[in-house]
Amino acid sequence: MLIRTSGLAAALLCAAASSLPAQAPALDQLITRLSSVAAPTGYEDPLADTLMALLPRAARDRAGNVILVLGRGQPRRMVACPMDEPGWVVGGVRDDGYLTVRRLPGRVSALFDQQLEGQRVELLGQNGPVPGVVGVRSVHLTRGRTASDAPFTFDDAFVDVGARSADEARQLGLRETTPMVLAKHPLRYGTDLIASSSAGTRAACSALVRAATATPKGTVVVAFVVEQGLAGRGLLTAATEHGPFEETVVLDAGNAAGPVAMDSLRRPAHGEALGRLARWSLRDRFDGWPVESVSINDAAALEARLRAWIGGKP
Amino acid sequence: MRFTALGGLALAAALAAPLSAQGIPVDEAQAVLRTLVESYGPSGAEGPVREAVKRLLPSGLKTETDSAGNLWARFGGGGPAVVFVAHMDEIGWRVTTINDDGTLKLERLGGFFPSLYEGRQALVHTARGPVPAVFMPRDSVGRNPDRTPPALSVDPGTGSKAATEALGIAPGNSITMPKSYQRLAGTRATGRSFDDRVGVTALVLAARRLAKHPPKHSVIFVFSVREEVGLEGAAAAADALGTTAARVHAVDTFVSADAPLELHAYGLAPLGAGAVIRAVDNSNVAPAGLVDSVLALAKAEGIPLQLGATSGGNDGSVFAPWGVPDVPLSWPLRYSHSPAEVVDLKDVVALAELVQALAQHE
Repeated sequence: MLIRTSGLAAALLCAAASSLPAQAPALDQLITRLSSVAAPTGYEDPLADTLMALLPRAARDRAGNVILVLGRGQPRRMVACPMDEPGWVVGGVRDDGYLTVRRLPGRVSALFDQQLEGQRVELLGQNGPVPGVVGVRSVHLTRGRTASDAPFTFDDAFVDVGARSADEARQLGLRETTPMVLAKHPLRYGTDLIASSSAGTRAACSALVRAATATPKGTVVVAFVVEQGLAGRGLLTAATEHGPFEETVVLDAGNAAGPVAMDSLRRPAHGEALGRLARWSLRDRFDGWPVESVSINDAAALEARLRAWIGGKP
Repeated sequence: MRFTALGGLALAAALAAPLSAQGIPVDEAQAVLRTLVESYGPSGAEGPVREAVKRLLPSGLKTETDSAGNLWARFGGGGPAVVFVAHMDEIGWRVTTINDDGTLKLERLGGFFPSLYEGRQALVHTARGPVPAVFMPRDSVGRNPDRTPPALSVDPGTGSKAATEALGIAPGNSITMPKSYQRLAGTRATGRSFDDRVGVTALVLAARRLAKHPPKHSVIFVFSVREEVGLEGAAAAADALGTTAARVHAVDTFVSADAPLELHAYGLAPLGAGAVIRAVDNSNVAPAGLVDSVLALAKAEGIPLQLGATSGGNDGSVFAPWGVPDVPLSWPLRYSHSPAEVVDLKDVVALAELVQALAQHE
C-alpha cells in the first residue's frame, strides 16, 4: 500500500521558481541519479522521494504525484513527466525460499519478462532494498536435452535472494506483492550516451527538474506523475486537483527523428481538465530494453524547449 | 597404474589426525573471491586475473608463468607430483570486425545462452583499458519472438569506424558484461565468473596455508588459461608434466541442478552442503577407489563433501594420455555461465579445506 500525502494546498500555493535549489545538479548527473532509482508502476515512492529532495517546495498529492506550482494567474498550464516504469511484484514465497513473480499491469514487449532471465534484480522490501537474482537453466545441463526456443516468461522466473526457507525470505522483509525491478546501474558510453532501463523518461524528468527554475508565464504546474503506464491515474488526478488547464504537455521518450518529437494526443476519458494535450517525446534508442539509451545533448535540447514553454514562448 | 596413489591416500585417511588447519574464515574466502570475481579474464585475455592471483598468493611463494599463460606454484619436496588445476578464464566474446557505423561484430568465447546478453551493458577490453558499450537488442520484437536473438553486435556509441578505432578498440579485443560481487542472504553470494574463480579462490586459500606448512611430497598448483575454449592451458601443463604427475585434481564448478527450473535426474548437489567430488562428467570418470579415498579423508577431517555426476568437461581430463588419474573437486553452482551465478561461501571454504587436506596427505 502506498503512503500518499495530501492536503498540501497551502504549500503548493507558496511554491515558486525562486524556491528551487540555487544550483540544480548537472544534467548528466541528474539523469544518472534518477535512472538509478526504482519506481515500478504503483510503487513510485523511491523516485518521488528523490524528486522531493531535489525540489524542496514540491508536495505529494492524493495520487502520489510530486507537484510543484510555478507562478500564479492565467494562463494555467501543466507539464507532466511519468515517474513509473514497468516491473514485477512477488507473487508467492515458496517453502524453499524462492520467490515467484507476477508482472505489473501495463503494456510491455513480448520479451519484457525475458529481461529477468539470469539477471540481478532489486526487491523493494519492507526493510529496504534486497538484492536477488532470477534463475536460469544451466547451459551445461541443457545440452543433450530437448529445449524450446520460446521466450522466458514470468512463470519461469524464480527469484533467489539466498534464502533457504520461506521464513528466511520473510525475515528479509519480503512478502507477496513486494515490488521488483532489474538492478539499476546506469552506464555512460559513447560521446554523450546514458544507458539504463527507462532512461528515456528519466532523462525527460531530469530536463523538467532543471527547467523548473525558469520564470513562468501565468501558472505552470510541474507534475511528476504516477502510474502513467497503467491508466494515467496520476495525470488525471493532477488535472482534477490543479486544473482546469488551457494546455497540458506530457513528456515521453521514444524513437524520434530529432531530439524532441512533438505531437498532439487524444484526450482520455475524464480528462477535460487537461485542456489541449500534447506529447513531447525525447529521442531514445533501444526503447524498453535494459540499455535504453539517451543522449545528454538531446536531453539538454528538451530542457531548453521546456524553459521556453514555461516562459510562454511557443 | 591408475590407482598408484590410492594406497597412500587411503592409509592417510584412515590414520589421520586432522592435519589441515580447519576453519578457514568465510570472510577471508569472500575477500579473495570478491577480488577475483571483479577482475576480468575472458579466454585468451587472462592477464588481469593472473596478476590478481599473484597479489593474493603468499608473498614469499615463487610462481612462474609458462608460455601458454598458465601460472604455476610449487610446494613441498620430490617424487611424483599431486597437481591441482583451476582455470582463470571466463566466458565472453571477441571482436571480429569493426563495421562502418562503428558497431562491432562478435564471436563467442565459450558456451552460453546469447539471450542473456541481448540489450545488456558491455565492456570492450582494449589495450588502453575497458571501454563501455552495449549489446544491441534485436530491431523489432513482434508478438511471437524467439528466445534466441539474431547474431549480436556491440555498439560503443561512436557512430563511425574511425571513432570506434580512436577509442582503442580493435579486432581481437575481448568483450564481457560489467560485473561485481554481491552478497546475498546468509552465506550465499552472486556474481559472474564464479566458474572458475571459486576454484582459483580455493587454491589461493590453500596456498596460504601450505606455504606455512609445506607438504613433504611434491604439490603443484596450476592456474590455467583458456579452459572455456577447449582446456587449452591445462593441455599445455599436462604436456609439460607428462608422467611425472601422480594424480590430478581439476578444481572447477559442479554444475548443480539445485534450482526449480532444472531437472533433478542428476547433478542435484544442494548449495550449502559442502564441496563435491565431480566423479562423472562429459570428459572424465574418476577412479572409484580414489573417490572413496577422498571421501574417507574428508570424513576424517570433518570436511563436508558430496558426490555427484554432472555435465561439462574439466581440465584434469587432458592428463589422461599419461595415465594420470583425474579426481575433480568442485562446489555446487547454480545458474552456471550466466550473469547470476550463485554460490554458498561455506562450500567455498569446504573446497579450500579439502584442497589443503589432499595436498598435505600423500
